[in-house]
Amino acid sequence: MSESGDPTSVPPAETSEPSEIVCQSIPFGVATDIYQAGVNGALQRSPRMEAQALALLSRTATLGPSWKPQRARVTTFGITFPEAITFLKPKTEEKPERLESILPPEPVVPVEEVSAGEAPPKKATRIKPPKDALTIEDRLFYVLQPPLETWLRGQELIMPFEPFPYQYEGIAWLFAHDSALLADEMGLGKTMQTITAIRLMVRSGQVRRVLLVCPKPLLPNWQREFRTWAEELPFVVVEGETERRRLTWQMPGVPILIANYESLVRDFASFPEGEFPKFDLVVLDEAQRIKNRDSRTAETARALPRRRSWALTGTPIENRPEEMGALFEFMEIIPKGGSPDLKQLQSLSRDFVLRRTKDLVMKDMPPRLDRNAILELSPAQRFAYDKAEKEGVIHLNELGDQISVQHVFELVLRLKQISNWDPLTGESAKLESLCADMEEIAASGGKAILFSQWTRSLDWLYERTKQYGTLVYHGGVPTKQREPILAKFKEDPDSHLILMSYGTGAVGLNLQFAGYVFLFDRWWNPAIEDQAINRAHRIGCKSQVIVTKYISKDTIEERIDRVLNEKRELFAAILGEGDNTRPSLSLNASEIFGLFDLKARQGKGTRNIGPKPPAAA
Amino acid sequence: MSSGGNQDFRLGFLTAVEDAERGFVGGLLVTNRFGRPLEFQCTAPVKPNRTQQILYGPTLRPFVLAELIGKTLVEKIGVKPHIVLGETRELLELGSWVDIPVASILAATEVSDANPEDTLPIGSATVLVAANDGWDRETLNKQSRLIPKDADLLEPFERVREALKETLRISLNRAS
Repeated sequence: MSESGDPTSVPPAETSEPSEIVCQSIPFGVATDIYQAGVNGALQRSPRMEAQALALLSRTATLGPSWKPQRARVTTFGITFPEAITFLKPKTEEKPERLESILPPEPVVPVEEVSAGEAPPKKATRIKPPKDALTIEDRLFYVLQPPLETWLRGQELIMPFEPFPYQYEGIAWLFAHDSALLADEMGLGKTMQTITAIRLMVRSGQVRRVLLVCPKPLLPNWQREFRTWAEELPFVVVEGETERRRLTWQMPGVPILIANYESLVRDFASFPEGEFPKFDLVVLDEAQRIKNRDSRTAETARALPRRRSWALTGTPIENRPEEMGALFEFMEIIPKGGSPDLKQLQSLSRDFVLRRTKDLVMKDMPPRLDRNAILELSPAQRFAYDKAEKEGVIHLNELGDQISVQHVFELVLRLKQISNWDPLTGESAKLESLCADMEEIAASGGKAILFSQWTRSLDWLYERTKQYGTLVYHGGVPTKQREPILAKFKEDPDSHLILMSYGTGAVGLNLQFAGYVFLFDRWWNPAIEDQAINRAHRIGCKSQVIVTKYISKDTIEERIDRVLNEKRELFAAILGEGDNTRPSLSLNASEIFGLFDLKARQGKGTRNIGPKPPAAA
Repeated sequence: MSSGGNQDFRLGFLTAVEDAERGFVGGLLVTNRFGRPLEFQCTAPVKPNRTQQILYGPTLRPFVLAELIGKTLVEKIGVKPHIVLGETRELLELGSWVDIPVASILAATEVSDANPEDTLPIGSATVLVAANDGWDRETLNKQSRLIPKDADLLEPFERVREALKETLRISLNRAS
């Protein structure tokens, strides 16, 4: 390379514009030589150009991120329901068209209650998961069950009668509870609710083997109710000789076993430990039978191998709140021997006890009219009574410190018997009054139940009231004859009066077709009297029930009635408000002594000396 | 699909609930002809992302409900129903994805407007059946007579919705 121009020339002075900057050329000379190299020739050659074909892109070029629809992976969760058990239907219908048999039954509610032209609103009773159902599977099991109305009415399970709404609720509640105490007031249909809940559980595969335990006199009643409300469910009653009972207990494939308390206790003891059959559900009817938790019955009930425990009773507290503790122990919601205080009992009751009263649920039920028939004793009765009382009191005073409640009690019984009739002449003011009432009742085609404490009184009355087609039903009547007696009373239009003992007739029987109840003499506990009255005043009764309580004037009966009324008020307070301050509803020693203005001598005023409650015959 | 015995007719009740934060949860309840539950399947919440929301536009719900949720549930369920009833019309789309006939219940006012060829009386309702290859009118008509005439076909959807709410509630409790 060489510098262009003459390096020695002086540049012209820049005069055109005045400036302080003076540019001056500096001579800069560099000697350059061209060296001989092979590349020089190549630099002078023209470049050689060639064209080449390339394949185009197979897809459209994109400017942003690409997207195409994709099915996201969806996570699922599922439950399968237990396989239902199906039973052959009983041979009661031979209709060729299968669908006709699943039409809804006629409602029991009188037609006039539903205003003309309007269908009653459909109510759906949903089964709610119980509080103790924690897993999602358990909760969904209950949530996904159909409403009871659609499950029962006119579909898979035929109901002979339409249950009342509160009964639907009771069924749903039982269905969802492994531990349950159904304590509805007597006459509200505990039996029907229990059977239906069992039926649903069996049919939905929840239980396969159920044991129902009840007092012996109620065995026919439960059998009849099972046939009515769950006609397709096979059941077997544990009865007969020891070996037969043993075989029955072990019989496979029987969904429902019905046993009485006595045979349960006896048979359980005869099995080697751990070999007694297992049950998915054990139901105790009249569960107050286990209120004494140290009794063999209670111990046996608690020892039964089972997954679910239900108890039924209209009187969860018959005497003391501790009785609830015994029931809760059977239900396995309190530990063995646990004795919850009142607050705990109330809390447990909210979760595990369902109790409804007639006032609460049966506003439309015909009323029960109580009337006290206060009668003057006949002259012969008066004479006998005064004499017996005078002599009796003298005798008691003579006993001094030896006197016991038993002595007083014997006098009470003696006087009560005379109040019923004079043993010498047979005169009876009560009988006269009864016959006068029965004339009217029989003439109008009505039916009446009479309760007495003594079978002897019942037999005596039977001889004198045969003109009313009278029947007798008490512990002395063989069990096998009892059902036909009840059937005759119901069906025979000439049978207007049935005589019952409190012990045998007070519990479990459905005699709602009877419009009259007579209490010929008074029981010691108002709860037992109410149970007796509720044989007639219960669900299904079409008209009012008139209850006549005979009380002989100026006798021990008046004094007992006074105490009983006080007791009745107390009973309502305990059940209604959970009051646990009162010890007993039966007459205690002080009260018995007080009947004759005597003082309890042994200082055990609260000792319960009343007669034993009516035991199963 | 098994046609089942003479007295065997299983219904599937398909519906979904939408949780504002967590998306759609679908459930399929299979019952026997009397409404008694046999099997239940439900999905975890499915939440469409923003891109899906934009690109699917108004077709997003049918896509999520039928193609994602419905198809998955029908595939997953062990006790296959003879017909799937979708609670909403959007679920009829499922008919394009499964072999089982899919239908939705017509309101009383809609029955007269529907093409009789596409409808079927079941229980107390009339259903609109999606036209797909699984739709065998004669067989389905015969089987549907096994359903009691007074059967309420809307009621099982309530159960499914309750169950879905219960699962959402429980899973929320576990998460918190």
